[in-house]
Amino acid sequence: MTPRSALLAFAARPLYWLLLAAALWILLRGHNEPGGGFIGGLVAVAASSLVAIALDTAAARRLQPLAPLPLAMLGVGLAMLSGLAGAATGAPYLTHLWTAWGVSTVMLFDAGVFLAVWGALTGYVYALLADNGQAAQ
Amino acid sequence: MPAPLHLDHPEHHGGHACLWVALLPLALFSALAWGVLHHELPWQGEVAWVPSLGVSLAFRIDGLSAQMLALITGIGTLVFVYASGYLAHEARRGRLLGVLLLFMLAMIGAVTADNLIVLFLFWELTSLSSFLLVGFKHDDAHARASARQALLVTMGGGLALLGGFVLLARMAGTWSLSGVQAAAPAIMHDPLLPLAVVLVMIGAFTKSAQFPFHFWLPNAMSAPTPVSAYLHSATMVKLGIYLLARFDASFNDLPLWESTLITVGTITAVWGAVLALRERDLKRILARTTVSALGTLTLLIGLSTPGAGLAVAAFLFAHALYKAPLFMVAGNIDHATGTRSIDHLMGLRHAMPWTAAVAILAGLSMAGLPLSFGFVAKDVMAVAKAEAELFALASYALVLVNAIAVAVAGVAAIRVFWGPPEWPRGKVHEAHWTMLAPPLLIVLLGLEFELIPNVANPLLLAAAQSISPALGQVDLQATHDLATLLSTSGIAVGIGLLLFVFWDHLHEVLHRQHWLDRYGPAALYEALLHGLARLAAWHTRAIQHGGLTGYLRLMLAALLAMGSFGWLLTVPALQLEWQWAPQGWAWLAACVLIATGALAAVSLRDRLAVLMASGLIGYGSAVLFLFAGAPDLAFTQFMVETALVVVAASLLPQFVGAAPSPARRRWRATDLALAVAAGLGCFVLLTQLAGLTPDTQLADWFAANSLPEGRGRNVVNVIIVDFRALDTLGEIAVVAFSLLAAMPLLAGLRGDRQP
Repeated sequence: MTPRSALLAFAARPLYWLLLAAALWILLRGHNEPGGGFIGGLVAVAASSLVAIALDTAAARRLQPLAPLPLAMLGVGLAMLSGLAGAATGAPYLTHLWTAWGVSTVMLFDAGVFLAVWGALTGYVYALLADNGQAAQ
Repeated sequence: MPAPLHLDHPEHHGGHACLWVALLPLALFSALAWGVLHHELPWQGEVAWVPSLGVSLAFRIDGLSAQMLALITGIGTLVFVYASGYLAHEARRGRLLGVLLLFMLAMIGAVTADNLIVLFLFWELTSLSSFLLVGFKHDDAHARASARQALLVTMGGGLALLGGFVLLARMAGTWSLSGVQAAAPAIMHDPLLPLAVVLVMIGAFTKSAQFPFHFWLPNAMSAPTPVSAYLHSATMVKLGIYLLARFDASFNDLPLWESTLITVGTITAVWGAVLALRERDLKRILARTTVSALGTLTLLIGLSTPGAGLAVAAFLFAHALYKAPLFMVAGNIDHATGTRSIDHLMGLRHAMPWTAAVAILAGLSMAGLPLSFGFVAKDVMAVAKAEAELFALASYALVLVNAIAVAVAGVAAIRVFWGPPEWPRGKVHEAHWTMLAPPLLIVLLGLEFELIPNVANPLLLAAAQSISPALGQVDLQATHDLATLLSTSGIAVGIGLLLFVFWDHLHEVLHRQHWLDRYGPAALYEALLHGLARLAAWHTRAIQHGGLTGYLRLMLAALLAMGSFGWLLTVPALQLEWQWAPQGWAWLAACVLIATGALAAVSLRDRLAVLMASGLIGYGSAVLFLFAGAPDLAFTQFMVETALVVVAASLLPQFVGAAPSPARRRWRATDLALAVAAGLGCFVLLTQLAGLTPDTQLADWFAANSLPEGRGRNVVNVIIVDFRALDTLGEIAVVAFSLLAAMPLLAGLRGDRQP
């Protein structure tokens, strides 16, 4: 691959955490302000891609809580799970429940969307970026 | 005296490792038996499932269902015992038994369902498990081809069945099976009824291997023998018969129903029986006669006399009680000698006395001789046929079918066991008890049902009454007088014995008829399959050639063609009114950004620069969205555009030096014309759309309900996570699973790049 920029490599980690924080903020505010799981997930993908390009894909993988595929599946699983609570009360599947403090199954669902996007797209990005000598596993 | 069983033969250690699995069907069978004795049929229950569509998990068990259940769980128990012995040395037996259990549950669901959708789901599940079981030896190409054939034929029929069910439900106004039956007289003159009936019949014919869909069943013999005995003789192939019997009371006034069933049934019965003479493999011979028996059952359902219902119930039972043991016999022989070809099998009675005894008892029943349940069934069938005054040709055909059944019974029970032993003693051994007790028990049950009719009669009568409600109380006891015996089965037995004696000569004659392989439904199926593969190959070469420019060219051309066609159809007058409506500096800036990007993209040569320029177009549209009231969309567009440019830019260095393909220059003029036309088309479309007043009902509803119902002020997000949450769930699942599918491809891509 082309020689890496030392400046970018130095800034990659701090920027990663900053972008990830922004992604979480976008996710959390999404229900009332512009934002949400899809967009937040894409920002997180950008954060991981930055590390993958500035350093290497292995570094980006280490910073992620899970490998891309399990992360994506966890996201889909969370979203599926969030619908069960409503179904348990006898309402149709995916009817959302709210508690007094604003905590809801909606949040769980949107977090699932976030993780699914983050996991699936980083999976593609890493696989496309990984060059010779860099295993993608 | 039979020799003692080789209980402790070294090859059979651990011969009942999975015996406990049989406890589940046994428990179900016991529950059924207890229920039938203590509670009046029918039993029914219902749980709401998709109430908005009128689909509920409704189940109803009447006489016909109870008879099928008795076969599924009763034969099932014994098949599981048999399988534990047969598969003792099979490493993947857990998988096989698991699928077999799944199949059993699917069958139970299919014969008890009282809702068309539920019935269809279980119906398809049986096809799917049959596919897995036929292809169990997946390292064998023939087994794979057979499994695919069984799947394509039965699932294709399943599609037809679904179409028929949808039509029936629309006409009757209910998805309930009993509801459709109740509504049958009212919809008798509906113009769509013939179509619905034909579709349902196609579904049943594929499942029950009726002509011209019969060819998959003999090939399904690639499955291990317990599977053949269970799915492909005793239960699954009877599912089509079950469905026809289920609808018979409703539709037997339709001439179409009656004549089709009689015609197809007769052709299947005769053709299946004749083709049995062409086979040398014991299992395939038996499979051909199964096809023949299924044809006979279809024919019997087509008869509209009350006695026909009883004949169907009796023959359904009798066939399972002799065919399953015969398959187990074939399995034992295969297990002991390693071959199923009747050319190499002779004189096995010395080595396998118990198997021989089972074969003789089952063969008696298959031939319809006294002292067997098959005799009772033959008797009842003769009565039904006499009542119906069947036209002469079909009657003669059935005599031939019976005769061939006698001959096949002779082959399976006498030919392979009698005569000089072809196998040295000691080399061939009797099967393990787990492979002897099940078939022995089944044939003894058949014997008992004949001698003590009171055991099975109530069940058979209940089943017959569900098929033909007009049937009163009748005595099932066979009329054991010589005159009837001679007139009904005497001729058939006589011809059958002749066929048995001249089997090899007949086989030679039939075997030489190679045109039978070249023409016919099986050859048509092969031709269709190959044609499909060739079409796919041609289509891939022509359209999916891998050149991205070509893809774009094709898509734009197709879009333009469709758009122009639509325009020509409606022929609206093009209304263009020029008007300067300032929208603010942001809009202007966005337009400049887009236009600059577009112009730069087409005029620049450097690839990185082209990529950046195309990114400008995306940014420009994002700015447009931002000021058009769609900040979420703009936000996403910015992210996607950035990610795309970054990833593409990091891939570009690998293509440095690759020259543009020579084809490009030739296409330039065409591309220019296409691009200009597409741009103009878009422009016209936009100007026309702007003149329309959009229907804002949905938008208004979402805007009004987002906060009170979804508790969110961001309407887009509330739609995504709440109002349309199921769609979103589907989408993220697609995104995640696409990665799963793409991973091997991406890994291959990496492998290619390595020096």
